[in-house]
Amino acid sequence: MNDPVPSPPSLPRRLLESALAQDPAAPAILGDLHEEFVGRWERRGPTRARLWYVREATLLAVSRLAHAPSAPSNGGLVAIATPLMQDVAYAARSLRSNPSFVLLTAAIVGLGVGALTAAYSVVKPLLVAPLPFEDPGQLVWIQNEAVPGENSLSAVTSRTSNLVDFRERARSFEGITGYNAFSEQTVYTLTGSGEPEPLRGFGVAHDFLDVLGIEPTAGRGFSAAEGRWGGPGAVLLDYGFWQRRFAGDPGVVGTALTLNGTPREVVGILPEGFDFASIFRPGARVDLLVPFPIAPETDRWGNTAFFIGRLRDDASPESAQAELQGLVASLQQDQPDRWGLGAEIIPLRTHVAAPVRSSLLILLGAAAAVLLIVCVNVSNMLLARVPGRSREMAVRAALGASRGRMIRQLLLESTGTAMLGALLGAGLAWVVVGFVSGADGIQVPMLDQIRVDGSALGIAAAAALATGLLVGLIPALHVAGGGEAGILRSGGRGHSGSRGSRRLREALVVAELALACVLLVAGGLLLRSFQAVLDVELGFEPARTVAWQLNPSRDFETLEETSNFYRLAADRVAEVPGVEAVGLSDALPLGRNRTWGFQVVGGDPELSETTGGFYPHLVDDGYLPSMGIEVVEGRNFGSWDIQGSAPVVLMNASGATALFPDGSALGQRILTGGEGTEWEVVGVVEDVRHLSPELDPGVQVYFPVTQLWDYGTLDLLVRTSVPEDVIVPGVATALQEVDPAMPVQDHWTLEGQLREVNSSRRFILQVLVAFAGVALILAALGIYGVLAVSVAERGPEISIRMALGASGPDVVKRVLGRTLALAAAGIVVGTAISLGLSDLLRSLLFGVEATDWVTFGGIWLLLFGVAVFSAAVPATRAARVRGIRALRVE
Amino acid sequence: MMSPAGLGEFELLVLLSILRQAQDPYANRVREDLETHAERRVTRGALYRTLDRLTEKGLVAWELEASEVPARGGHPMRRIRVTPEGLAAAQRSREIMRTFFSGLDPLGDRP
Repeated sequence: MNDPVPSPPSLPRRLLESALAQDPAAPAILGDLHEEFVGRWERRGPTRARLWYVREATLLAVSRLAHAPSAPSNGGLVAIATPLMQDVAYAARSLRSNPSFVLLTAAIVGLGVGALTAAYSVVKPLLVAPLPFEDPGQLVWIQNEAVPGENSLSAVTSRTSNLVDFRERARSFEGITGYNAFSEQTVYTLTGSGEPEPLRGFGVAHDFLDVLGIEPTAGRGFSAAEGRWGGPGAVLLDYGFWQRRFAGDPGVVGTALTLNGTPREVVGILPEGFDFASIFRPGARVDLLVPFPIAPETDRWGNTAFFIGRLRDDASPESAQAELQGLVASLQQDQPDRWGLGAEIIPLRTHVAAPVRSSLLILLGAAAAVLLIVCVNVSNMLLARVPGRSREMAVRAALGASRGRMIRQLLLESTGTAMLGALLGAGLAWVVVGFVSGADGIQVPMLDQIRVDGSALGIAAAAALATGLLVGLIPALHVAGGGEAGILRSGGRGHSGSRGSRRLREALVVAELALACVLLVAGGLLLRSFQAVLDVELGFEPARTVAWQLNPSRDFETLEETSNFYRLAADRVAEVPGVEAVGLSDALPLGRNRTWGFQVVGGDPELSETTGGFYPHLVDDGYLPSMGIEVVEGRNFGSWDIQGSAPVVLMNASGATALFPDGSALGQRILTGGEGTEWEVVGVVEDVRHLSPELDPGVQVYFPVTQLWDYGTLDLLVRTSVPEDVIVPGVATALQEVDPAMPVQDHWTLEGQLREVNSSRRFILQVLVAFAGVALILAALGIYGVLAVSVAERGPEISIRMALGASGPDVVKRVLGRTLALAAAGIVVGTAISLGLSDLLRSLLFGVEATDWVTFGGIWLLLFGVAVFSAAVPATRAARVRGIRALRVE
Repeated sequence: MMSPAGLGEFELLVLLSILRQAQDPYANRVREDLETHAERRVTRGALYRTLDRLTEKGLVAWELEASEVPARGGHPMRRIRVTPEGLAAAQRSREIMRTFFSGLDPLGDRP
């Protein structure tokens, strides 16, 4: 065996030693266990022997404490633990005698604890845990000052010259770095070893890892030379990509990868804990980082970069903000022509969490509400058992048990049950969290970091403990509330259903209904919002489309050469059976995000500022038909719109109205781009929701790819009459005929893209609807429970009423009346709370008011319906009470 | 159920098992014997409690004895012996059982 003299686990051994402190035979008993432990170690192996020891020693310790003489001679653990252990043993016996009730209760508690634990686990990486960087509290996000209502990336990114000046002149920072927010427009095709593979990379300033405090797993970060324009080609590999493509071989560091035909040296491997995408671009994939030169060449690209700064110890985000504001003002004064200056500082964590912060808080709140409902429900279930337990406690009291001891006993039972629930809840949370963290394409930051860890289990245990005490206390006080003699005399039924206890149970049901109402209203409003998002007129037809990003394996010298290549590719694909239409675009909707400035020829020069620029689309003449975008006025591009012919553009309808309110946009000219070209509007097309279904279309301008060469690559969109998996191989083959070295395996659908854009909305909706569903079921159970007990208790009263002439329907009416009264009370309270919380929810709603009466009305009807449904069985049972039988029972 | 000699059934079994041991009876050996031959699961808690009770009644006595066996991890061994009173109680139980059994038909023993 591995260890010649195995020794048993120390914790259970110490526990046993303490439990045996008063026992003269203790050393021999420890020896007996030790001996058998060694035997098992040899026969069955260390793990099973240790498990056996833990179990055996714990059971023996509990048994010795529970059966120790009642008055131990001196203090220590035994003096405190013995009566407690006796109570524990008694509680365990009592729970074992009613396993179905215990399991049901534990399952309900498990639901609540599981919901809270899972919600906490999801929220933790974003709102609780520090970001996975060195001293993350000192890190701040620096973006350009956004124009209110302006949603494009170009509006919040900065020019790289700003970074140069901030680095040089701002005193608040130990370092400032940045990355290219538009990196996704470049795809890196890896060739040279096996199939060409398209990789996603982000360009970062050379000191990116230094400022964030990230140590590469192998190799180093970028050097200053590599960060220069035209510097040596270098690349850092993402840990996951390194594992996948190179099986974690550290030997890859120092070798060269051929990316887009250019060799780049692998200088390092990013650590496992740092996934660039999950923090800075949730929902996307990043395989590698490349240097992004902070240089005059990149500055000319305009607003492209986000900055991240590390504050000095004596600086705060506020002081840094003040300093940068001063700096910006003085730079602007020195260089009046300089544009794109601005800085807004946000603590990095706040920035990362911002898009989902209110969703997460609502999620956590909803989970807490579910747990509260669980507490109320279980409390009610325990209260319903009060009459039965009262007699048992009366007997114990008559035999000399103190009130405190009985309360402790009952609390032990409820916490024991709750702890069992905590186990179930932790299991439930583990399953849910595993499901969520593995889900692809949900745009929630750091989703891959969520797990049920020690702190989540601590939350589960604490929640269960609190639940156990909370739900046990009221019934325990009730049960142990005295009047033993009376209970015993009353022949064993206990003081069943006193008015006070029934009132209390009804109040609990009202609370439960109110909480359920709040969750249902929130869920209903989000559902209506989601429906509204799905109903948005997108302006294009996402169904039956498949898209490829084309990354030609060679560079082109002229616009003509480029457009011929893409023309050829589109023509080839158009011949594939099943292809209805083919289009080319540099920026399909729901993906890329940028704006360009412009001037209307002969118009207001400030117009570009007030409209926030326009979204440019570089497309071919097949794009509009393939997307299903209608031309409203004028014409589409034609094969004659080529380099050298008159520059033409199309404009969307909203843009046309905004820029040319007084007449048709056709024939008008806009000035944009560096060369001062005037572009004539020859067509007006339908509005397209470019960024997301929820955001206004803004001004959109379409340029012909044959006239403007301002794209790295183009996306090819195919509209098909056959399923995706049928069309894909044909298109891939056609594309490879055009360029055999072009990777073609990566493709996506606009429907998938739409799903991804809606993913965080759908995610929060699903969770909230699940919570609301649980709440509704629990509330229904609560109503049923209270009425069933009440009908059973009041059997004699009902029978007397019926004997005096009340009919069955009268009785049903009375029970239902009571139910509706309870439901109404719950709904009133719940509605009031919902209205109070409407501000919190408003930021998540779309196309629906937080006070939407349709939702509220629907939820009221639902709650009344469920209440009546839950009351149906008890009510009919009441109507069947036959006078004589009920009285005979009495 | 108490036997007429004031011994519970399990107590009697423990007593007899101690007597059956050819040499040096101690708790682990008694437990093994009971699990193997009395066809019942014996928890440690129950066994030690029974030994305590039998000791209180004066039917068994024990002393700690240093043990050289490495598997005991340096812990001593409890050598248990049945006292003359214990032996008498076992004999009394046997007589009573015999009286009651002898009056019966073959008691369902199939031929």
